[in-house]
Amino acid sequence: MDKATSSSRRSPWFWAGNYLASSAIIVVLKLTDAITAPVAMILFLGAMGLLIPLVRASERGDCVNPVIIRYNRRFLIASFGYVLGLGIAIAVWNSYKLTGATVFALALLPTLPTFGMIWAMGRYLVEETDEYLRYRMVRAALMSLGLVLAIGIFWGFLEMFELVPHVWSWWVLPVWAVGLGIAQVVMKVRGE
Amino acid sequence: MNNRLRVLRAERSWSQQDLADRLGVSRQSVNAIETGRYDPSLPLAFTIADVFGLPIEAIFSRD
Repeated sequence: MDKATSSSRRSPWFWAGNYLASSAIIVVLKLTDAITAPVAMILFLGAMGLLIPLVRASERGDCVNPVIIRYNRRFLIASFGYVLGLGIAIAVWNSYKLTGATVFALALLPTLPTFGMIWAMGRYLVEETDEYLRYRMVRAALMSLGLVLAIGIFWGFLEMFELVPHVWSWWVLPVWAVGLGIAQVVMKVRGE
Repeated sequence: MNNRLRVLRAERSWSQQDLADRLGVSRQSVNAIETGRYDPSLPLAFTIADVFGLPIEAIFSRD
């Protein structure tokens, strides 16, 4: 078996592990000030390249759901757009003194791809014809929404009483995404 | 809700995937219905009945 074939046969977990390890190393390097923010952003964009074989590996097999394939591809494109948009927005923000409409446009750069992620999730629910898989996703989304509301409300009051620092409100999307993962684990543990 | 999906499937020597293909759903769906983790909608219950050539009440029953 040649090298290329061997690489294309690796499991999705292999690529997911490589992606998480690469991201963790970049975060450590940035936190220890070993690299600057632009370098970290470029490295992270490179690490995201590992998501392409991850998605391709998950598309192998006889019973792959075409709706999942479309969802994964849409989400991947939106993720690339997000990192790229965020990188450009931060770089421009740090380099120029901007105000008004320009800042508004700058904020749209990372925002629009996240709208793409939300749209991809919505389309999955519309296109999924398997009612059980749709039920699981809706259930996970509601559980995750509950988590976001609970954390948001609790943090809001802690912040109001000056116990915790202010947090930018875009935290809702990553926390919601993490909540989706937690919900899947909870449903698995509960045998749902 | 109880169901006889596993028995009916075994009588026909169908795997979960075979039944899933006939129903146009995922194997996970068949597994979830068989093990009682998920009650199918009425349209899916009718499709299951059609696939086995039986009335719904011969497949599904109340607890």
